[in-house]
Amino acid sequence: MGIQTTQCGGQTVQEVDLGSDLVLFHQADLGYGKRRVLTNVNLVVKNGDFLAIVGPNGVGKTTILKTMLGIIRPLKGRVLRAPGIRFGYVPQQQVIDEIYPLTTLEVAAMGRYPIVGPISRLSKKDLDFVLSCLEKVGVLNLANRQFRELSGGQKQRTLIARALAGEPDVLVLDEPTNDMDIASEYAIMELLRDLHESQKVTIVMVSHLLNVVVNYAKTIALVDGGLKTMGSTSDVVTSESLSKAYGLPVQLVDCAGKRVVLAGGETDG
Amino acid sequence: MADVFTVPFLRIALLGGLIVGCLCAFLGIHVVLRRIVFVGAALAQVSSSGVGLALCTNTNVSVVSLVLTLLGVATFSVKSAEGRITQESLIGVAYSAASALAVLFVAKSAHAEAHLLNVLSGNILTITPGQVWLMTTLLVCTLLIHTLFYKQFLFSAFDSETAKACGIRAGFWDLLFYVILGVAVSFSIRVVGTLLAFGFLVVPAVIALLLSQRFAGIYTIATSSAWVSTILGLVLSYRLDLPTGPTIVAVLGVLLVVAWIVSKLTR
Repeated sequence: MGIQTTQCGGQTVQEVDLGSDLVLFHQADLGYGKRRVLTNVNLVVKNGDFLAIVGPNGVGKTTILKTMLGIIRPLKGRVLRAPGIRFGYVPQQQVIDEIYPLTTLEVAAMGRYPIVGPISRLSKKDLDFVLSCLEKVGVLNLANRQFRELSGGQKQRTLIARALAGEPDVLVLDEPTNDMDIASEYAIMELLRDLHESQKVTIVMVSHLLNVVVNYAKTIALVDGGLKTMGSTSDVVTSESLSKAYGLPVQLVDCAGKRVVLAGGETDG
Repeated sequence: MADVFTVPFLRIALLGGLIVGCLCAFLGIHVVLRRIVFVGAALAQVSSSGVGLALCTNTNVSVVSLVLTLLGVATFSVKSAEGRITQESLIGVAYSAASALAVLFVAKSAHAEAHLLNVLSGNILTITPGQVWLMTTLLVCTLLIHTLFYKQFLFSAFDSETAKACGIRAGFWDLLFYVILGVAVSFSIRVVGTLLAFGFLVVPAVIALLLSQRFAGIYTIATSSAWVSTILGLVLSYRLDLPTGPTIVAVLGVLLVVAWIVSKLTR
C-alpha cells in the first residue's frame, strides 16, 4: 500500500490507503516520553462507526485519542491514517480557559480556521456554515453570548459545533458528558446519535461512563493497561468482561428499553 | 496642558511614550489572557541583567540585552508535558536569578550603577528620534504579524491541543509570540525603563478586560489607557517635577481604580 507523510496535530504522520478503515493502530505502545501508558494497542476506526473507548480512570483512554489525533507520537509500533483525513476534536469543556472574552460564535468559528488557511479571513459563506453548525447542535440562539457564561452542556455543544465546522471525517470526543446532569448528558448523547445516524458522522468517543456509551456506541474498545478487547457492543459488554476489567462484580440489566450497568452484586452465570 | 509639549524633548518623549504604550498594551492583552504576566516580569528582569552584563563587559547593550531576552524566551516557551518542575517555578527562578545578576553586574562596575538605575526607573525623557523610529517599526511589524495570523495566534493560545489536532502548529505560533514579546520588552526597556515597560504591559490590558468583553473594545481601551496615562503622566511630571516613568505608572494605577469602579457599577 502507498504510504505518504503529512502534518497532523503538529507532527509528521503517515497516511495510507486503508480501504474503509480511517485509522489503524498496529502493535503500538503509547505514552509520554519514557512513561509507557499502553502497550501493544491494535485498534481500528472504521468509516461510519460509533466507537467508544472505555475503561477505568487513568488507564490511557485520552492517550489513545491524542495519539490518534497526532498530538503525541506512538512510542513503538505504527498509527496509520487514511489520506487527507480530517479530525474534529471535542476536548473536555473544563480544559478551555474562561478568561478569553469570546462569543459562542467566535469559539465555533475556530473550527473553520484550518479550512480557510493561514492568512485568509472567514468569508460570509464560512460564517453561514458555522451558524448552521451552531443550529445543528441547538445553540444558535446563544451565538452572541459570551462562551464563558454558558452552562456546561451549552459549552459542550458549542465545542461540538466547532468540531463540525471543520467538516471532519471523524468526530473525536473526550469525555463529552463529564460533570453534566442527566438531562444535559442525555441531550448530548442524543445529539451524537443524531449526527451519527442522520449525518453519517464517524464518531470516536472516550468515556468512563459505561451506562452512557453502552446504549449508543456500536463498537466498544475496552482498555486497561492495553487494549483488552474490541468488538461490537453486544459482544464486548458482558458481565464477565466488565467484571474482569474493573475488578469487581458487574451486572447488566435491561430496564425500560435501555441496558444498565450495575457495579457490585452477583454476576451472570 | 498643550504648552508642555512645545518643549522639544517632551514632544519626542510623548511620541515615544505613545508608540511604546501602544505596542506594550497590545502585547499585554495577550500576556494577560495567556496568564503569563510573570513571564513579562521575568523577561524584563532578564533584559535588565543583559544591560548590566553589557555594561560590565563593555559590549553592545542592545545586542546583549536582546540575546539574553531571547534565551529567556526560548526557555519559557517550552511547555513540558510532564515534569517535576512547573513552568511557573522555572519563571520564578529566572526572575530571581536575573534580578540578582543585575545587581551583581552593577556591583562589579562603578559607572553601571547610574546607567542601570536609569534603565530600571525610566529614561523616557532621553528618548531619541532614532529610538522612536525603531519602536515604530517594531509596532508596525507586531501589528502586521498579529493581524495577518490572528487566527493562528488565537486558536493556539485559547486551545492549543485542539489547534494541534486541526493541523495548526501551535508550538510554532506560541514561540513566535514569545519571540515578538521578548524583542518588544527588550527594546521597550531600553527606551522607557523596566518599570514603565512592565506597567504598560499589564495595566492597560487589565483596564480593558474590566471594561469590555469584545476584542475590538479591549484593544481600543488598552491603547487609549496607555496614551492617556502617557500624556497625563508627562504633564504631571513636568509640572510637579516628578520622575516621569513612575508618574505615568501612577496615572495608570488611578485609571485602573476608575475602571474597576465603573465595572462594578455597570454590572
